[in-house]
Amino acid sequence: MPGSLVEYAVRITRLSYSYPDGNQALESIDLDIRAGERVALVGPSGAGKSTLLLQLNGILRGSGLVRVMGQSVGDGDLKLIRRQVGLVFQDPNDQLFCPTVFEDVAFGPLNLDVPRQEIQKRVEQALIDVKLDYSYASRSAHHLSHGERKRVALATVLAMEPAILALDEPTSNLDPSNRRHLIELVACLPATLILATHDLEMVLALCSRTVVMNHGKIQAEGETRALLENAGLMEKHGLEVPLSLRNRSA
Amino acid sequence: MKHSFIDRYAHLDSPLHMLEARTKIIGFMALVIAVLTVRAGGVGHFFILFFLISILAGISQIPMPYVVGRTLLLLPFVLLAGLAAPWKGSAGWSWFLLLVMRSVLCLLVLVILTNTTRFVELLRGLRKLGCPKLVVANLSFLYRYLFVLADEAMRMKQARDCRRVGRAGIFAELRTLGSMLGTLMVRSFEHADQMYRAMLSRGFSGEFMVIAPRKCSWRDLVFIAVVAVIIAATLYL
Repeated sequence: MPGSLVEYAVRITRLSYSYPDGNQALESIDLDIRAGERVALVGPSGAGKSTLLLQLNGILRGSGLVRVMGQSVGDGDLKLIRRQVGLVFQDPNDQLFCPTVFEDVAFGPLNLDVPRQEIQKRVEQALIDVKLDYSYASRSAHHLSHGERKRVALATVLAMEPAILALDEPTSNLDPSNRRHLIELVACLPATLILATHDLEMVLALCSRTVVMNHGKIQAEGETRALLENAGLMEKHGLEVPLSLRNRSA
Repeated sequence: MKHSFIDRYAHLDSPLHMLEARTKIIGFMALVIAVLTVRAGGVGHFFILFFLISILAGISQIPMPYVVGRTLLLLPFVLLAGLAAPWKGSAGWSWFLLLVMRSVLCLLVLVILTNTTRFVELLRGLRKLGCPKLVVANLSFLYRYLFVLADEAMRMKQARDCRRVGRAGIFAELRTLGSMLGTLMVRSFEHADQMYRAMLSRGFSGEFMVIAPRKCSWRDLVFIAVVAVIIAATLYL
């Protein structure tokens, strides 16, 4: 994996960002994520989680410093940075824009100048990784179920072999079975993981560290279980202690 | 919700389906041009071309009710254009007949083409024939997002129906329809914005890359030769 010798996968220093309409989405964010670490970003809707993910590969750029695998996003080679950060969007319809699954999964490797003969292998492997049969390759995204689309969306970034996986609400709108499969799937992936989500049970299952965001700022961060057990903190920031932790303490 | 608007039978396995997309685009477009060059009074030519197109429809294995249905679906637009016939004097009705014959045959050709070629192959074929990248990319997005927008439109319609009791006046209906279309447009802008971000995230830099499609074979040459001979014979008879 490129850049795997770097200690920090992501280093963010005093990052602020405002949308063109003047809405301040991020304010003075400082965050370090070690290579191989699994970190959750939690908080109410509009807290700035998705905006923060979009800063990681230079889609949005604020003031402050964002370094990914040792490279500054502002001055670095964006192609290389986007190869390092696999960003999966909340709505798979935004991610799947090609006429077939094969082309969607091959889109990233093609743009990254991966040799044509290797692209076929990458597509096959990515579909295996997300537990989809290769017969899906010739299908159109609009003929897939929402759960299948979510998996294909994940495959589109896995084919780029990113060092960092940034997932925006990966379990939203999934039925319990598809949600469980997706969590199991993500648990097996070796990349550094950054999850922006409201699904706190998934956070418990996957992430060792959690960052609580609200009003564009980091309000708290620490070991996942300790943070999610803190009922006062959860309530203050529009969250709830996960049911599994409540049952345990009851 | 599932839709299959354009290439519903493109997955079949007929001899026409096995041809390379470029061959079909050239062959079928030649047929369209041949149909359009037939002049008023050339009923015999129309029948020969209709016979050829019917044979192609038969070979394609596309169910006939579907072919006829799709063709008739677009016929009202043709009839609308034909409303001008009475104002064209004595030649008006022969002009109208010519318009209907040309339209029906062209529509038949297009229905067969789009249902014997997967849309993605059609796009590749267009690109290989020199169609600008941007046009092909836009067609590709149109095909993909047509379904997403159709889903959204259907959901909005269901939401409207849930809140509508009794019959509203025509102006109220039009106002609601206008709001729905406006919302749909805003949502399509939002989709486009997010989609572009997703493309950038996967290394897109303005150049659309494609992987090599299937190559031409002897079948393609035979098809082009047969179509060319029949068209030439029809037009010079």
